[in-house]
Amino acid sequence: MEVEERQEERMNNEVIVTKDLSKTYGKGDLQVHALRKTNITIRQGDYIAIKGPSGSGKSTLMNLIGCLDKPTTGKLYIDNTDVYTLSENNLAKIRREKIGFIFQKYNLIPTLTALENVALSMGFAGVDSKTRIKKAKKLLEMVELSHRISHKPSELSGGEQQRVAISRALGNDPTIILGDEPTGNVDTKSGNKIMEILENINNQGETVIVVTHDPDIAKRARRILSIEDGIVREENV
Amino acid sequence: MFRDNFNLAYKNIKERMSRSILTLLGIAIGIMAIISLMGIGEGMNVAVEGELSSLSDTIIVNVGEGFSIFSPGQLEDTGEYLTERDITDIERIPGVKEVNTQLTGMASLSFNGDENSVFLTVTGMDIESMNLQYGLADLSEGTLLKIGDQSKIIIGYDVAHDYFDNDISVGSRVKINGKKFFVNGIFSREGFGGVSTNDDLVLLTSRDFQKATGESNIFVATVSVYDVNEVEAVALEIERVVNENHGKEDFASATSMSSILDSIQSIMGILQTVLIAIASIALVVASIGIMNTMLTSVMERTREIGIMKAIGATNKDIMSIFIIEGLLLSLIGGLSGIISGILGSQGVAALLSNMGPGGGGIPLEPVITYMAIALGLSVSMIVGVISSLYPAWKAARMSPIEAVRYE
Repeated sequence: MEVEERQEERMNNEVIVTKDLSKTYGKGDLQVHALRKTNITIRQGDYIAIKGPSGSGKSTLMNLIGCLDKPTTGKLYIDNTDVYTLSENNLAKIRREKIGFIFQKYNLIPTLTALENVALSMGFAGVDSKTRIKKAKKLLEMVELSHRISHKPSELSGGEQQRVAISRALGNDPTIILGDEPTGNVDTKSGNKIMEILENINNQGETVIVVTHDPDIAKRARRILSIEDGIVREENV
Repeated sequence: MFRDNFNLAYKNIKERMSRSILTLLGIAIGIMAIISLMGIGEGMNVAVEGELSSLSDTIIVNVGEGFSIFSPGQLEDTGEYLTERDITDIERIPGVKEVNTQLTGMASLSFNGDENSVFLTVTGMDIESMNLQYGLADLSEGTLLKIGDQSKIIIGYDVAHDYFDNDISVGSRVKINGKKFFVNGIFSREGFGGVSTNDDLVLLTSRDFQKATGESNIFVATVSVYDVNEVEAVALEIERVVNENHGKEDFASATSMSSILDSIQSIMGILQTVLIAIASIALVVASIGIMNTMLTSVMERTREIGIMKAIGATNKDIMSIFIIEGLLLSLIGGLSGIISGILGSQGVAALLSNMGPGGGGIPLEPVITYMAIALGLSVSMIVGVISSLYPAWKAARMSPIEAVRYE
C-alpha cells in the first residue's frame, strides 16, 4: 500500500515538460522540420518508447531532451528548470546529474576499462575515487559483468559493452535514463537482457525513455510516443 | 578530478605510443641542445675563471697595444723594449709585489754542425713566468724548465721537426749564437688553428737569454700585486710611469688579468646566448609538432569528446584533459632532453678536449647548474601548455551532438 502511494506520488512529478519544442535544419526551400511544435509531459517513473521510422525526428527529440542539442524554438523543462536558458557549464551539470545516456553504439571510451568507463561520469560529477570505484563495481555487478571489470571495450561483446554503458548511465543516480536504440546493435538475446535491465531500473522508480524503431521493443513500454514527419503523437497502449 | 583527467591523458598517450614518442622527441632534442650548450658554456666559464682567477693579481706590461684575448702570448715585436729603468720604477710603485720580465731577440740556432743555422726569435723569461704562461701548454716530449736549470731550452714543434734535416729531440744539443744548449722539452704541434702558436718558439731562462744574445730587450713584464683590489689602480700607475720614462703617451700598456677575464666572459656570454637562441628554434619546431599531434588527436577523438560531454564533462574538463596531455608529452620530452643534454655535454666536452691537432684541445668539464635544469623543465612545460592550448580549446568548443554523431 505504502509502495503504491509512493509510486503514485512520483508519477505526479513532472520530470520533463516540453513547450512547443521544435527543431528545423537548413534554410528556405531546403528547410527540414525535424520536430514540429511538440508538447509532451513525462512524469517520474514513466517508461516511454519513442518510435518512428528513420528520419522521423525521434533522435532529434531524444537529443533535445538529453540536452545535447538546442531547439530552434520552444522550451524544455527538466525538474522544473528551463534548461535552454542555462550556461554551458550548468547544461553539463544537468546532463551529468539528471540524465543517463545509453547510445546505440555504446560509445564507451576505448582507452578505459569497463570499470573506469563506469566511474568516469561520476568523476566528472566530483565523486571521490574510492566511492566511485565501489559504486562502479556494484553497478557492473548489477548488469552481471563483475568478471569483466578490467576489460577494455574492444575485449567485450556488443551486449556486454551496452551493459557497461547502462552501468555508466546509472553512475550519478540520474532522474531520467535515455536509450537511443539501445538494442539496435546487439542480437535478440542480448537485446532482451538489456531491456530487462532497463525495466528493472524503471521498476525502481527511474524514468526510462527508449528510442526504437522496433515495434516489439516499443510494446514493452507503458507509454508509446510515435513520431512521423516531426509530429509526435501519443499511442494508446 | 585532476587525477582522472591525468589518467585519461596518460592512457591516450600510451595508446598512441609511437606517435607520442616522436612528438616528445622534438622537445627532447631542443631541450638537449639547450642544456648541453649551457653546460659547455658554463664549463668554459668555470675553466677560464679557474685558470685566470689564480692570476687575478697579475698585470701584463708590454710595449704598444694592450695584451688582449685575441693575441694571448703573441705580442707584436715593435722593436722597442722596456728598459731596466722601467722595471726598477715599476718595482717602486706601492702595492707591487714582484716583477718578472720576458726578453726577446733574434738569434741564430744551429743543430748538427754550424753550417745549418737558422735565424729566429728567442724568448727568455723567469721560470715563474714560464710556468704562468706555458704551464697549460702540451709538450710532446720532455718537460718545462725548473728553477736552477741552466743551458736548457724548450722549443716549438716546427723548430724541432721542420727547421733542420734531422729532427731535434729531447736531450739533443743545439747552439744559440754559438752557445751550447740542451733541449729539455718540445711543444706539441698547434698548427694554424690557434691564434697564438708555440710552433716556432725557442724558450730559455732570462739569464741564458742574456748569456746567449748579450742583450736584455724586455718585451713583456709580468707584475704581481699584493692586493687584488688594487690591481686596476696599479696597472694605471705602471702605464703612467713607463710612458713618462719614454716620453710618449701610449708607449706601453698594462693589462690586468681580471680585465682580460671580464672581456673573455662577456664574449663567451654573447656566444652562448647566440647558440642557445639557435637551439631554441628546435623548440619552436617541437612546439608546432606537439600542436600538430594534439590537433590530430582532437580530431580522432571527436566522438570520445562528444561522449564525455554527453555524460557530463564540462568544457573545462575537456580542456584540461588535452592540456594535461600536452604538458605530459612535453614534460617527458623535457626530462629526457635534460638527461641526454647532461650526457651530450659530457660527450661534446670529451670531443673538444681531444680535438686539437696534437691530440690536445681545451680541457673542459661541463657544468650543469640547477638553473639550467629548472630552465629546461619550465621551458618544456611552457611549450607543452602553449602548444596544447589551441587544440584543447578546439576540443572543448565542440558541440556534443555533432561530436557524438561523428564517425
